[in-house]
Amino acid sequence: MLLTEDKEIDLFVASRIGSFKHVKYHTNASKNSKKCIENLVDIKSLKKDDSILHMDWGDDKQTEILLARKNRQIESYNTEKGLTKSYTATFGEGNIIGVARCDSRIIAGVASGVVQIWSESDRAIENPDVIETKGKLDCLRVWQHSNVFATGGEENELKVWKVGEPSPTFIAKNLPHDWLQLRRPVWVSDLTFLEENLLAVCSRHGYIRLYDTRVQRRPVSSIDTPGLAATCITNGFEERQVFVGFGRGQLHQVDFRKSRLDKGYKGAAGAITSVALCERDRLVVSASLDRHLRVHERESKNCIYKQYLTSKLTGVLVQTATSTPLKKAESEIKVEEEEEVTVKVDETDDLDEIFDSMETISERPRKKLNPDPLATGEAKKLRPSLEGSTVDTDEDAILKLLKSTEKTRKKREKLKRAKKEKSLFFNA
Amino acid sequence: MARGKDKKKRKLEKKQEGDDVPKKIPHTLESLREKDETTLATAEADEQEEAQKDMELDELSSYFENSYEPKVLITYSDNPHTKTRIFGRELTRIIPNSISRYRQRSSVKRIVQSSIREQVTDVIIINENQKQPNGFLLIHLPNGPTAHFRLSSCKITPELRKDFKEITNHRPEVILNNFSTRLGLTVGRMLGALFHYEPQFRGRRAVTFHNQRDYIFFRHHRYEFTSDGKRAKLRELGPRFTLKLISLQQGTFDSKRGDYEWIIAGRRHQLETSRRRFFL
Repeated sequence: MLLTEDKEIDLFVASRIGSFKHVKYHTNASKNSKKCIENLVDIKSLKKDDSILHMDWGDDKQTEILLARKNRQIESYNTEKGLTKSYTATFGEGNIIGVARCDSRIIAGVASGVVQIWSESDRAIENPDVIETKGKLDCLRVWQHSNVFATGGEENELKVWKVGEPSPTFIAKNLPHDWLQLRRPVWVSDLTFLEENLLAVCSRHGYIRLYDTRVQRRPVSSIDTPGLAATCITNGFEERQVFVGFGRGQLHQVDFRKSRLDKGYKGAAGAITSVALCERDRLVVSASLDRHLRVHERESKNCIYKQYLTSKLTGVLVQTATSTPLKKAESEIKVEEEEEVTVKVDETDDLDEIFDSMETISERPRKKLNPDPLATGEAKKLRPSLEGSTVDTDEDAILKLLKSTEKTRKKREKLKRAKKEKSLFFNA
Repeated sequence: MARGKDKKKRKLEKKQEGDDVPKKIPHTLESLREKDETTLATAEADEQEEAQKDMELDELSSYFENSYEPKVLITYSDNPHTKTRIFGRELTRIIPNSISRYRQRSSVKRIVQSSIREQVTDVIIINENQKQPNGFLLIHLPNGPTAHFRLSSCKITPELRKDFKEITNHRPEVILNNFSTRLGLTVGRMLGALFHYEPQFRGRRAVTFHNQRDYIFFRHHRYEFTSDGKRAKLRELGPRFTLKLISLQQGTFDSKRGDYEWIIAGRRHQLETSRRRFFL
């Protein structure tokens, strides 16, 4: 009897061809199968520009997912109801690089540097607030669905904004020139809020920086990772810790207090595109360009789950607040669950019964339980005599057995003879 | 019994048994190859459908819709030696609509930029070390992907005692063998996309990329059917070379900041877990 309880974790995975999948991950490894994967978008209907570029939670309850596609469609997906709304972004140029829910409104940024905020109630985009961030954008994140958001991009330093204010509340400043008096290049490839005033930034130029907006414009801590282009970053399990994925397939825990790369999670053969954490079970979930979804254990760094998902993955989200059942096999799962429930009820009712049953199954305790050793001795002696077969039923069986063995022996001999006759040497 | 005698006996027995006994196929590393979950042929129906869709929508799909004629630029590392030059020039004879240019100390990124401007669809860069060609970088334009191969055992036509003039100007037939996994398919498609989609059968030229244990063997033949039309005689035209995939990158060349789809550098021991595991 395994005492480890099976927990289910819901993962939502987006891909470059535009497919959007729901993977039910079981912590009990034997339960994971291809049945736990479900397509949420019809694959046949996908077109060339349907690829999903960005994906984020729409609310704290984690029932709404906002998807940004390459054809400038922003879709809102409800985990219970399915696709609910879609908007077309008409502002600016370039791909959408970030969507988020911001004070019950939706905020979206495009690569050319325009950020727009509009209220959700309208189907079409009406009376939007437009913010020009001046420069290319690569990422846009919102602090816990509030009205504070941050942007950054190639040669575009981290900026923190407040909705409604035309200028940023915080502009980061680059590090001083290096020892050759050369300017250090800037590229914010992804950023994350650790707290409202504490932001971590990763770069394709190979650095990870921590900014404290209260203290100074320059980073509080900077970690160089020469030769490693960071692609994505998320909050870690503890404070001042982040998880960073790299373009060559590395995935590391980064600790700003130690100011170095901390733990490495191996296994990916292609660039990590997205990392997500499961706080409850201490798991690190990563999506990679090599079309695999991986789950690592945080402490042991082992890859405990790996699944091929057919297309290049661009994003992964972990649902921790609630859970959603699979649509496809809902009925089957329900039946299984009911069975499980009944079993569980028995267990909880009285554990003593279970222990009693266990004792009867095993052999050792039987001997101990038996009061007089003579009886057991008799039983042992009796057994061989029984095999001598004075009982009618046993005799019949033995006869049958003997007959069958004789038959097989004859057959074998026949075969042998035939083979010998065939061979040249026997004839000679 | 001595082993030799035993062998004789076995041979005789085999003769006696005749043809009714099916021939045994010997085990090879490939027949015992570890099952790869990404192989398209063994996948389930919905997975196959998705992979098909994936291929319909990727960067190479426009070639397979026959929407353009490939135009290929072949270039070298700086100051190539004779062998590399000849090799490149022979490639231009094999690949239709291709030109060979010296690099003039230009960077790969600039080559890519100017090639996009000139509407080149693929760029091949041959690297050289110790007078031997040793690297083969294949960039599909305008949006990638980029494949980097190790080039080895390259034999140009003079080394094979052949004449490059035998290579006619007809568009060749392309044979892509044994590309089975998802990664292999992408690589095979990239190599196939170098050639014009409509071969001129009159030329009777066939170009083969044969993948065996992750090594891609290139051979170039002229064929001629025997008079009964059942078999084809082959005449090798050369050159021959072998490729091995080092990395496959999404987008055009950017080795420092780019995103790799597959890279083996630094994780060889993690990936090459057994002798029977192959990636293509």
